[in-house]
Amino acid sequence: MEQELPIIQIRNCLLVSIQTELHDRLALDLQASLMERVRTVNARGVILDVSAVEIIDSYITRILNDIGKSVGFMGAECYIVGIRPAVAMTLIEMGVELDSVRTALSLDLALERLELL
Amino acid sequence: MKTVDKEIGAILAGTISSITQRSIFNRLGGLATTPVHQLTPTDRATILQELENSIRLFARSNSAQLIAACAKALAAGPGSPMGAGTSAAPAPMAAPKKLPIEQEKDIATARLEAWSEAVRIGLTKFASVKVATAVSELARNIVFYAGKGSIELRSLKDDRGVVGLQIISSDQGPGIPPAKLEEIWAGTYKSQRGMGKGLVAVKKLVDDFHLDTRVGIGTTVTCVFRGER
Repeated sequence: MEQELPIIQIRNCLLVSIQTELHDRLALDLQASLMERVRTVNARGVILDVSAVEIIDSYITRILNDIGKSVGFMGAECYIVGIRPAVAMTLIEMGVELDSVRTALSLDLALERLELL
Repeated sequence: MKTVDKEIGAILAGTISSITQRSIFNRLGGLATTPVHQLTPTDRATILQELENSIRLFARSNSAQLIAACAKALAAGPGSPMGAGTSAAPAPMAAPKKLPIEQEKDIATARLEAWSEAVRIGLTKFASVKVATAVSELARNIVFYAGKGSIELRSLKDDRGVVGLQIISSDQGPGIPPAKLEEIWAGTYKSQRGMGKGLVAVKKLVDDFHLDTRVGIGTTVTCVFRGER
């Protein structure tokens, strides 16, 4: 069951829409291919759209933070967009931080902040 | 061949995310991949009941039309109670549900099961997301650290009519040694795969939390979510 998340390029920004259950293998593959693409296309930003993700627990949070950190080390900014209200409230209550990524309400706003619109 | 998941997937596309669809089909087990024309009336009823619960839970609008479309796709006979919904609603205090947790895909199933149970007993939308998140953490702990175990969901009702949901996660895994447990509660423990924060997160999300862990014997976490008065 080889699976890979498609990475879409919009100008010098990379976009991944997470539509599937993230697990270790998939997350590591995503992290690796994002880093590779950031390098080859000289990306300014990486945007992860999680609007289809109904539950974010501490494990998924760690994956998102790890991706944000690794992308950040390469000089690109990582945005998480589309976190659902109930998910945000739950993250606050759990006391877990999404501190290695930036967040934006929507893809448009993230692109705007990355000065691509 | 027209299988149940393909037929229903086509109807739900665009309304229910593919992650959720997959969880719904996982819950149907072998029925999901059964060709529609081979379904027995009992199969159809089971599938429809399951779909109805899930659609009401996840579709933001037009759930009635979706349910009707699913019923039609499954070629339910003319006499079937299409979209009648409420008439088939289960009794409020159902028997406890015990979900085996053995592999990563069971985490998603447990999460969805807990979510729909929370909604069914009348917890708010936000509370139900918290329930699902807590179950996700507990199920992950089982898969990551114990290999296998189970999660049991029990609906509760006190004498003032306040509903609640009890979650019992148990495994016969290695248990957590006292020193490690201290680190976990102090927030200094970092595991390899998780953030070492799963248990802390669960404790913060729930109203009652009880942990019983014995090295070499296993771990049981019992927690309760209470609804509002």
